[in-house]
Amino acid sequence: MIGRKKKQQAVQVPAAERGQNAVRDVPRPEPQRTVTRFGHGSRVPGWDDAADLTKDPAEIPDPATTPVDAALRAEIEAHMAKYPDFRSAAIPALAAAQRHHGWCSPEAIEQAACIMRLTPGYLSAVATFYDMLETQPVGKHRVYICTNISCSLCGADELMARMLQEVGDDPDFNVRSFECLGACDIAPMASVNDIYVGPVSLEDVPVLVEQIRAGTPPLPGKQLHLRRCVDPGAAS
Amino acid sequence: MSHTILFENIDEPGLNTIDVYRRRGGYEQLRRVLSTMAPEQVTEELMASGLRGRGGAGFPSGKKISFIPKVNVDKYLVCNADESEPGTFKDRELMQKSPHMLLEGMVIAAYAAGATKSFIYIRGEYVEQADIIDAAIVQAREAGFIGENILGSGFDLSLVLHRGAGAYICGEETGLLDSLEGKRGNPRLKPPFPANQGLYQGPTVINNVETLATMPHIIAMGGAEYAKIGTETSAGTKLVSVSGNVRNPGNYEIELGIPSREIIFGLAGGPPEGREVKLWFPGGSSSPVLEPKDLDLPYDFGSLQEAGSMLGSGAIIVVDDSVPVVDVALKLAKFYRHESCGKCTPCREGTRWTVSMLERVDSGLATPMDLDIMASVQEQIIGNCLCVLGDAMAMPIGSMVKKFRAEFESHIEEARLRNPYGGAEPDPDPVLIQGAASA
Amino acid sequence: MPKPAAETITFTLDGLEVDSPAGLMLADAAKLGDVEIPVFCYEPKLGQPVGACRMCLVEIEGIPKLQTACSTPVRDGMVVLTQTDRVKEAQEAILEFLLINHPLDCPVCDKGGECPLQDITMGWGGGRSRFIEPKRHFVKPLALSPLIAIDRERCILCYRCVRFSQEISEDYQLVLQERGAHSYVSTFDGHPYVAPFSGNIIELCPVGALTSQAYRFRARPWDVEGSGSVCTLCPAQCNVEFTVRDERVMRVLARDHAGVDDGWLCDKGRFAYQSVHVDSRVTHPLLRVDGELVPVSWDRALDEAAAGLRSAGADTGAIAGGESTNEEGFLLAHLMRGGLSSSHLDSRTGGTLSRDLHAALHAPQRQACVEDLEFAHALLVLDCEPVDDAPVLDLRIRKGIRRNAVKLAVATSRPSSLDPNAAAVARFAPGAGEAFCAALNAALGGEDTVVDELAAAAGADPAEVQALAAVLTDAGEDVVIVYGERLTHGPRGEHAARALLNVAGRVITAGHDGCGLLELPAGANGRGLREVGVLPNAGPGLTPVTSPGLDSGGIAAAAASNQIEALYLLHVDPLRDMPNRRLWKKALARATMVIAHAAFLTDGLWEHANVVFPAESYAEKEGTVTHPDGRVQRLRPAISRPDAVRGEWQVLADLCKRLDHDPGVLTGPMTSATLFAAIPFLAGLTLDEIGGRGVRWPERPQAAAWPQADGGPFGLEAPPFAPTPNGDLRLGTFRSIWAAPEVELSPALKFLRAHQRAELCPADAQRLGVAHGDQVTVSSNGSQVNAIASLRASVPGGTVFLESGLEQDSASELDAGLVEITRA
Ligand SMILES: Cc1cc2nc3c(=O)[nH]c(=O)nc-3n(C[C@H](O)[C@H](O)[C@H](O)COP(=O)(O)O)c2cc1C
Ligand code: SF4
Ligand code: FES
Repeated sequence: MIGRKKKQQAVQVPAAERGQNAVRDVPRPEPQRTVTRFGHGSRVPGWDDAADLTKDPAEIPDPATTPVDAALRAEIEAHMAKYPDFRSAAIPALAAAQRHHGWCSPEAIEQAACIMRLTPGYLSAVATFYDMLETQPVGKHRVYICTNISCSLCGADELMARMLQEVGDDPDFNVRSFECLGACDIAPMASVNDIYVGPVSLEDVPVLVEQIRAGTPPLPGKQLHLRRCVDPGAAS
Repeated sequence: MSHTILFENIDEPGLNTIDVYRRRGGYEQLRRVLSTMAPEQVTEELMASGLRGRGGAGFPSGKKISFIPKVNVDKYLVCNADESEPGTFKDRELMQKSPHMLLEGMVIAAYAAGATKSFIYIRGEYVEQADIIDAAIVQAREAGFIGENILGSGFDLSLVLHRGAGAYICGEETGLLDSLEGKRGNPRLKPPFPANQGLYQGPTVINNVETLATMPHIIAMGGAEYAKIGTETSAGTKLVSVSGNVRNPGNYEIELGIPSREIIFGLAGGPPEGREVKLWFPGGSSSPVLEPKDLDLPYDFGSLQEAGSMLGSGAIIVVDDSVPVVDVALKLAKFYRHESCGKCTPCREGTRWTVSMLERVDSGLATPMDLDIMASVQEQIIGNCLCVLGDAMAMPIGSMVKKFRAEFESHIEEARLRNPYGGAEPDPDPVLIQGAASA
Repeated sequence: MPKPAAETITFTLDGLEVDSPAGLMLADAAKLGDVEIPVFCYEPKLGQPVGACRMCLVEIEGIPKLQTACSTPVRDGMVVLTQTDRVKEAQEAILEFLLINHPLDCPVCDKGGECPLQDITMGWGGGRSRFIEPKRHFVKPLALSPLIAIDRERCILCYRCVRFSQEISEDYQLVLQERGAHSYVSTFDGHPYVAPFSGNIIELCPVGALTSQAYRFRARPWDVEGSGSVCTLCPAQCNVEFTVRDERVMRVLARDHAGVDDGWLCDKGRFAYQSVHVDSRVTHPLLRVDGELVPVSWDRALDEAAAGLRSAGADTGAIAGGESTNEEGFLLAHLMRGGLSSSHLDSRTGGTLSRDLHAALHAPQRQACVEDLEFAHALLVLDCEPVDDAPVLDLRIRKGIRRNAVKLAVATSRPSSLDPNAAAVARFAPGAGEAFCAALNAALGGEDTVVDELAAAAGADPAEVQALAAVLTDAGEDVVIVYGERLTHGPRGEHAARALLNVAGRVITAGHDGCGLLELPAGANGRGLREVGVLPNAGPGLTPVTSPGLDSGGIAAAAASNQIEALYLLHVDPLRDMPNRRLWKKALARATMVIAHAAFLTDGLWEHANVVFPAESYAEKEGTVTHPDGRVQRLRPAISRPDAVRGEWQVLADLCKRLDHDPGVLTGPMTSATLFAAIPFLAGLTLDEIGGRGVRWPERPQAAAWPQADGGPFGLEAPPFAPTPNGDLRLGTFRSIWAAPEVELSPALKFLRAHQRAELCPADAQRLGVAHGDQVTVSSNGSQVNAIASLRASVPGGTVFLESGLEQDSASELDAGLVEITRA
């Protein structure tokens, strides 16, 4: 059984199988025999992957052989300079690499590792820990729909379903159900390319998707920053 | 009903700029502190105010600062702006609308603690708010409120805004520290406590946004005066985020100790037309649930604790009678399973196991005995974990199973009647036991 | 930071009073009261406890919550309860949680029988599980590397393996991915976990999740026996336990010794045991008959060898390789000096040092020990690469920096893997160690005007030299200098030794514990061999000899010009292990009689040996070796010798007898006793005293008998300038941990065998039109070596580094100095 496994074509993994979060494209090793799949989270990306013995060990990338875009380098170095210990810049550096490459691809992680003088393993351990760092390719439009308790009491699950339906298989979209985004006052809500909008009704969905496609501001009337404090004492 | 300190003028246009903030008297308390008070005096005022942490644990804030050893090493102040507890969104409103209040509070707290480096750890999803704070930091630095030799006092403080990337556990103070150090956000073993060995192994004070934002007001009023607001053990005002099945969800500033009913019904308008409150979380999703009969409890740390729950982050989530309690439990358990960092056994495995048990309850594949096991698993989690994230699931789930056992049981029964195979297709071609088939 | 001493306190454990050193973690302190507290994640060797598994919960009076015994230090008067219902319930609960994921496939699990999870479940588990959901199943086992298989189903996420990778070996390759119950142990993007110390995670894993590909399913714990000995594959001389089944070594485990290895092994030490049992092993005496090596009887082989030696007489040269034991070296010296009246014998590869300098460098009062690496204030790593030269010491150095804030200064030609941990780094031209030491000495003495000049001679940056000097002077009084034997190689080796002693004189207080010099010799038992007299200019115990002989280089030259007739090669193939391969080729070809002790026929022996005596493997040997810090350690046979292989002490003794110079030894232990008696500073030592832990002779009173010698300060003459790159590049060489025949022969390790690569910096590469991965030829004075270009940003401009110790294309083909690089 031990041996090299070829990575194969992408397989869609239902959201339920990765906690409640992402829909991810997961390359899978070629199945060698039928393994019964249980609906209890067995299909975590990576669990079934062997090391590729044709690769070299992943040491700290050598600057001599790892080209990095100058702007990305400057950004990461600026982050490193802010902290007493440069390692603190791991998340900002990965976020920068993600903006630059679209996701935390192996290449993106290697480049960040090269600048930070860390192993790519260190950074991939960090990247896979945080929900906002994408370690699989994703669409460029980020739509996080909060489906946590307060929002789902106000219909977030229906909103999520409706949104997935509306977006269909448009590869430009990265629609994820997210844990509480800290805006339960506008439940059910979504974070659309970092802009909070809500309450999002089911009727808003087609409009919203159109606006995202067109690159215009999402639901301009329902953006969080317009909302006044509801506390009667806070009048001014 | 409401009592305004933090929210005074909160919606004033431009309050997020330093000019408007200063016009409103902003940074005056900082000036006073730096020019007239010794660090110990500031700590004393904070102690006298009776201020307790607004982030969840409710630890006396002045005392926390007094724990910082007076040694000559780099000390740190960290503002916990991770705000990820479901139902909590108060820090967001403060940071978005009055970032300088937070900054002023931070410089005051840092001065009291002798910290020279400070950080704001803000959750990565709060992009707008982070941008606003970044802008505010630039302004405050230009105006000389942050940086070297602040207002000529000889006190130095650097401030860095650090954006997280999506992990609830980074709200837990030691998980936050690891994350801020560039690692996976796993909580650390305590002791050592952050006050002794925190960020980069140095003494560290960690406070919630609201806690820090309150400090300038305490200095303004004087600790003793502030202590007069609220109750004896729960001084001051508190921002309460009300959400869920209420008519007017949002943040309200209240005087601690007012009846909970006043907040849920008086301010937030109560449940929608024709609905009743079924249960409510008084302090975020991690607090054990309360029932309608508890609505008259005074909303303060002590009363809620006596009732078997807690004030937590001050986030009230109201669930009305149209919602099955199992749905609420499953939602919560899945949240904690997703957010468990995976470091310690009971939390990692306990949250996973609880979700699978609840899924069976929901699909009718459970028996009442499973409810006993579920309750016992929650007990096995509580107190045995590395941090309290495990407890944060086990306490509310445990309380739900206990208080709504009848509903759980009928849920199982109804689900079984609805889908006899637990939702699965019956096996079209059952393999009979060999011997039995031939006999 | 000097090693702290602990006071004793008393605490109450389940009602009994127990004395314990203060500060010990409860999990360990409980053992002193004969109570075992179960643990999974706790392993003190891995540093601070993490408290992750929660298995060790106990009750402490006065604390409401249960506490983790692995992270709670005992305090005086503490009252601890480990047997209460509350504790039992918690323990059962944790085990129930852990077993949710665990497949319980013990009958087919390689760990079965020696599995902590199995044992703890039997001892502390509730014996039932209420988890009725289906367990998770994954494809298994999977390759984590060619050496290690991973079975993720069995993993209990105890963090031990990833902590090892991150905090002990610091290679940061093995990590945890994802979060929560989805976490799994893995590497970046499917890269294999290949690193010099990766195998340790197999021993650390408390379940069957990480298993050795080489050992899997070869034996069960009840089929095997453990046998303690010492690994002689490098000077670190780690203490090992061979797992033996039916006279075969099945595996090598660490035998934790804080004074030597700290419980770790490198992968060479862990897996190269396979070379013991390969088919190509020489197991019979061989004799060259009609140009072919053929098996012959022992008598014939010994007679032929004796005849050849007798006819060469004093024109015999002998070289002892680093794997030779003290006893073998002693008998070789007896054979050469007594039987043949020849002093042409050597164990150093790069020229000899005067007796006095040797005595001064290794004087007991100037000798640092392994533990000093961990507790020094400052440490200078000079002209050596610990991970290649004595791998396990690399871990010790990292530990000292990590735990005790040791200030590290690195001064090497080739970029070191320790650079990122160093407080100061200085580079100098390959071979310019003398000039560098002189510059450092000047900097330490505040002779700033001279520093620039000397640094220039060394090809070093004066500012770097100054910074390095500052680290050594500012850190504190305990300074340790670890240097490679290569520093004192070459015609100016003595000058370098004097310069080094001058530096030592400035930063080391002779006679003070916790500081000193530590040499990493080129051969595993390099130190012992010199002390038993395998030197051209000193006899056993460093006694003076009347007419010194030729050193290794001299022997090669003499043989090449027909002045030496016979060559005696004890565990050495000069073509592989010695510099100047061209000269040695000639020497071997010209010698009329070449006698070798060898376990494998390397190219040189295959072509040139006349008599080959089958050598014992280190698992078969008995005898002693001496660690670089003076610890005399004992090898004990774990398996019996295959076929006709004989004890080599016996072969040497037989030869002596045939040459009428009987050493009078009849057994191995008798040889050791004779040796100890012959050497004043080992006088009275016995094998029993050495036992399983070894004895540091510099710590024994007899060490006073070590010859007195002038330790400086010496007047130094101006060192020569390092060659200036003029389009051609300076050649630096190094021998990697993997450049060893044992690596090439062990099936499991083969994939690691070293290949020649030319390391150069991007600027030089660009100028030469060479890209990363290109095939290049490196040439000097008519000889050339093929290599793959490997670009490294950290290589200093003007220098290229090549590996030595390779079978083919070894850097020893080339002369030191400048080399030309062209794309092939
Ligand atoms: C799982 C978990 C999540 C937490 N999340 C937050 C948070 O998002 N924001 C916060 O201020 N405190 C949070 N806390 C509480 C902090 O650990 C800590 O008590 C608080 O930041 C201290 O500040 P305070 O004294 O001002 O309340 C969390 C605690 C736990 C156990
Ligand atoms: S593989 Fe073994 S050592 Fe590593 S985390 Fe899993 S159980 Fe622990
Ligand atoms: S051994 Fe103490 S928590 Fe693992």
